[in-house]
Amino acid sequence: MEITDWYLKSFEEWLRVGPVNGLITIAGLFAAVVVLGGLLALLRSGPQAAVAGVARGFAEAVLDVALLSPRRTWAIGLLTIKESIRRKVVIVFAVFVLLLLFGMWYLDPASVDPAKLYLDTVLTATCYLVLLMVLFLSTLSLPTDIRSRTLHTVVTKPVRKSEIVLGRVLGFTIVGTVLLCLMGAISYVFVTRGLMHRHQIEPADLELAEKTWSQSWEASTPRPPLRLRTTRVHGHRHFIYIEPVTQPAEQGKVRSEYPAQGDLSTEMEAGHWHSFQYQFQRGADGQVRLSYTVGREEGVFQARAPVFGTLRFKDRAGKDADRGISVGDEWTYRSYIHGGTAAAAIWTFEGITEDNYPEHRYPHGLPVEMTISVFRSHKGDIEKGVLGSLSVCNPRTGETVLVSMFPAKEFAVDTQFIPRKLRDKQGRLRDLFSDLADQGRLEIWLRCEDPNQYYGVAQADLYIRAHDAPFWLNFAKGYFGIWLQMVVIIAFGVMFSTFLSGPIAMLATAATLVGGMYAEEIGRVARHELYGGGPVEAFIRMVRQQNVTSEMEPGLRTTLAQMSDSVLEFFLRIVAAMLPDLGKYHFAGYVAHGLNVSSDMLAKCSVSVLGFVVPLFVLGYVFLKNRELP
Amino acid sequence: MGVQRSFLRKVIYLVAMVPLLGVLFWLGQPGTPPSESQPGAAGGVLTQMRQREGLTQTHIGELDPATETIKLATLGLRGVAAMILWEKANDHKMRKNWFKLSATLEQLAKVQPHFISVWRFQCWNLSYNCSVEFDDYRDRYRWVMKGIEHLKKGITYNRHEPILVWDVGWFISQKIGKSDEHKQFRRLFREDDDFHGARPLPLRDSWLVGKEWFREAEAMVDRGDKVKSGPLLFRSHAPLCQMYYSDTLEKEGTFGEVAHRAWKQAALDWYHYGQFDMTTSDGTIYRLNDQEMYEESLRRLTEQIDQMAPGAREKIFERKLAGLSREMRQALETHPEKRSPKQVDLAARAEEEIKVTYDEVARSVTGPQRRKALELADKAKQCEDMIRTIKSNRMTVNFNYWRLKAQVEQTADAIAARQAAYEAQTAYKRGEILTARELCERAAGLWRKVIDEFPAIKEERSFVDDIMDLVKQYRTVLAQFNAKLPPDFILGDIVEAAKKHEI
Repeated sequence: MEITDWYLKSFEEWLRVGPVNGLITIAGLFAAVVVLGGLLALLRSGPQAAVAGVARGFAEAVLDVALLSPRRTWAIGLLTIKESIRRKVVIVFAVFVLLLLFGMWYLDPASVDPAKLYLDTVLTATCYLVLLMVLFLSTLSLPTDIRSRTLHTVVTKPVRKSEIVLGRVLGFTIVGTVLLCLMGAISYVFVTRGLMHRHQIEPADLELAEKTWSQSWEASTPRPPLRLRTTRVHGHRHFIYIEPVTQPAEQGKVRSEYPAQGDLSTEMEAGHWHSFQYQFQRGADGQVRLSYTVGREEGVFQARAPVFGTLRFKDRAGKDADRGISVGDEWTYRSYIHGGTAAAAIWTFEGITEDNYPEHRYPHGLPVEMTISVFRSHKGDIEKGVLGSLSVCNPRTGETVLVSMFPAKEFAVDTQFIPRKLRDKQGRLRDLFSDLADQGRLEIWLRCEDPNQYYGVAQADLYIRAHDAPFWLNFAKGYFGIWLQMVVIIAFGVMFSTFLSGPIAMLATAATLVGGMYAEEIGRVARHELYGGGPVEAFIRMVRQQNVTSEMEPGLRTTLAQMSDSVLEFFLRIVAAMLPDLGKYHFAGYVAHGLNVSSDMLAKCSVSVLGFVVPLFVLGYVFLKNRELP
Repeated sequence: MGVQRSFLRKVIYLVAMVPLLGVLFWLGQPGTPPSESQPGAAGGVLTQMRQREGLTQTHIGELDPATETIKLATLGLRGVAAMILWEKANDHKMRKNWFKLSATLEQLAKVQPHFISVWRFQCWNLSYNCSVEFDDYRDRYRWVMKGIEHLKKGITYNRHEPILVWDVGWFISQKIGKSDEHKQFRRLFREDDDFHGARPLPLRDSWLVGKEWFREAEAMVDRGDKVKSGPLLFRSHAPLCQMYYSDTLEKEGTFGEVAHRAWKQAALDWYHYGQFDMTTSDGTIYRLNDQEMYEESLRRLTEQIDQMAPGAREKIFERKLAGLSREMRQALETHPEKRSPKQVDLAARAEEEIKVTYDEVARSVTGPQRRKALELADKAKQCEDMIRTIKSNRMTVNFNYWRLKAQVEQTADAIAARQAAYEAQTAYKRGEILTARELCERAAGLWRKVIDEFPAIKEERSFVDDIMDLVKQYRTVLAQFNAKLPPDFILGDIVEAAKKHEI
């Protein structure tokens, strides 16, 4: 999974840049509205009246917004809720239940990683359903009231127009929230129960284990581990290995025996494992019996709370580099370090202190998790992973101590513990917190040790797994992300419905919704980051079936196309800046991949959504106010 | 009055609907299968057409409610949905998002379950392109099998598509048996209880299982199912699997009677393959085994024609040769290896021009035998065409090589030679260099006997390479004794042949 800066940046870091851009956009938008309003008034009534009108309108607007009555707003909200119920909003809930009922047809528990599949699908489906529902509700409500003249009755009452707009937003949000809560509760049960399973031990293996256990072993080599296979459930099975206890015997031989009882775990499969308790007993008839218990699935649903560091690289000569090298992978998320050279990926962590990582909570040391990509330039030993090393370094003194050598596990999370006490090359005992961390700053160096093999890494590929958050809470955060998207769409829907007819408002909101889902892509087109040029150039290439990477023929047509693209890209940049990037509020990927949605992330998203909702509310109010209602 | 008109209009609509419904019923009435009590009905025109063309859902493959629901839910935009899913699948693969790729392929298959290319391409994608992304060979194996399982699922939706069954054979035999990780893959394949079920251990060989699937695909075609590729390649893989199985047995250290039986079976399979009636694109039916028979017939026919017109062939040849231009003659007279590019072209044209046809010789016959001579010439021409066809098709599948290989490898000497070479290698690895030397010399002696019995193998690169591996091993062993390959080495001619191949 690609973890972007949006996830990695802390709230404080984001606050320095993000809102500034947002505020500039909002200010520009309001300036445009004021200028447009002023121009209209100028054309209608002349300059003096225009200035007076704008000033009056501004003063009234400030008053209308400032003197909002919560009671009246709530009353409008309540009315909106009743109206939504009248519009059979419950149908959406019924569709959701139907989706879950038939979801088992499409969700295969035997897939590669069923938990990810279930979580991603459920959260995404809920998101689409809810957004579609609020799209219809928020855009059709006001225009219907205006058409049926219900609004005319309302505005004769002592209700401010700002309260009408806010009441609508509030009402739809409450309806959506209630629905989301219900959906969340049901889908949580659906996901957790859908993946619940137990295994048994294959009868043939059971029989073999009972036979093997009673046989004695005295040989020059230790006995191999006793392998048991579980039955196949949900398209997978697990292996269990009972390691023998080996003791020296006579004539240089060793005696190996399997323990009579034990408390073990199965091997990881399909993203989870099971606990396994067993006991071998010899019955009165002399027969050996193996009694056992395989526990429920564990590790399926996680919410790892990672502490990320900043990443820098050293090239093969040991010099600083911005990135590692490219091995020709189309996906440039990771860059690579050359094995058997001085090349290294270095993460710098802050806050590595005894207080933050006390021994009673982290008895094995600092828990580091890695996901490393491997690129082999030659086959090497197929049966062995590419060897790498992990070292810690004091960023001030440069003192480096090797932590471990390990074979890389690709596409899997590899956990390593950095012990609190480490021995350096001279054999001296070094303390992680006092000798190697410098005022809480610690560097972790990753190297590929196999010559001419490569490790691929990105910033989020190595982190300290400080703690785990409760899964149910992370699941709820996933739903909170949907809620944020819903609020944005409601705000857009209500705003558009204040000055457009129902179907047009719906189209405009749908365009915002689709644009918001592809905001990042639109931004990339606008910034000319995609192959194939801008919209016009891409169109020409499509018609002529021309490759996206080949040069366009020089000439008038190409010049015109590129000029048009420059203009279009300018407008696209504006559109991209104004569109809500809904993908940023969609936490399904993080929840599915077992990453905790941090409070920083929630804060960034909430502030960002607020940055949309407030101006949209004001815009909606301005439009409704200027509408010719009695 | 208004009410009456409205009522009348409704009645007219109803009356108009009746014939339309009748037509609809005539066209679309569903058929019913025969039961014990009732004979069953053929159904409407469309139903009958679907039955006739083998397009009914039950005829094509398994009925799946999930697939049908998706087909309906896309509201006729299945093509668009498939395109989007295809794009997504490519994107997930690029971003190495395996669980999403897997789920997208499932959806893609549900949207277009009868689009054969999707099954074939995505199986390839999983087994080849995705599996190679993983560093651990066990993960790679898992993805190879995932591709195969995906294809097997495709078969349940498309029961009359032999190419899918053939593809399963291909992936099991080629991917597991020939990839870089074939040793590990074959071991994991043997241990894969989930795939094999009750199949006994000795039969859990990837080549043998691949052969089973190829044979099943052939049986489907024999039962009337259609396949686009011709029988030449389609039917070559089952016997080739037997060849590779026999070869791999020896490479993995199994010799003696087991290897002999395997090679004997390979020779038999190849013979049966050669006996199959193949059809060329112009409708000519031929058998790969028949080349020698046609060559013998052609020899006899040529003799008969030449006897009817003694000396005519030579005269025509001389005349044609005299008619060649000076450059063409010069090109012909130049040694083929010394010809310039232009001369190569000229010589080819000249050879074509001086070629004496059977018809030309027959036409020189006069008197009552002329008619018979022309008939014989016609037969000779047919024989010649057939030989050309068979030769060219034999080359496509390397027919002669495999026939020779199966023939040679089943001999006791060849098996013993390979066993000695294998044991020499293992003895050397164990550090038993004296035993290794003896075994190398024994293997060389046995290969000598085999070469003397089948001299044709000297022309086959693969045999020469195998023997050269032994020579290399022998050289390494000799180096331990500070010795070199003796000048009168028993396989000296092969060493020379190898040099020629290298050139």
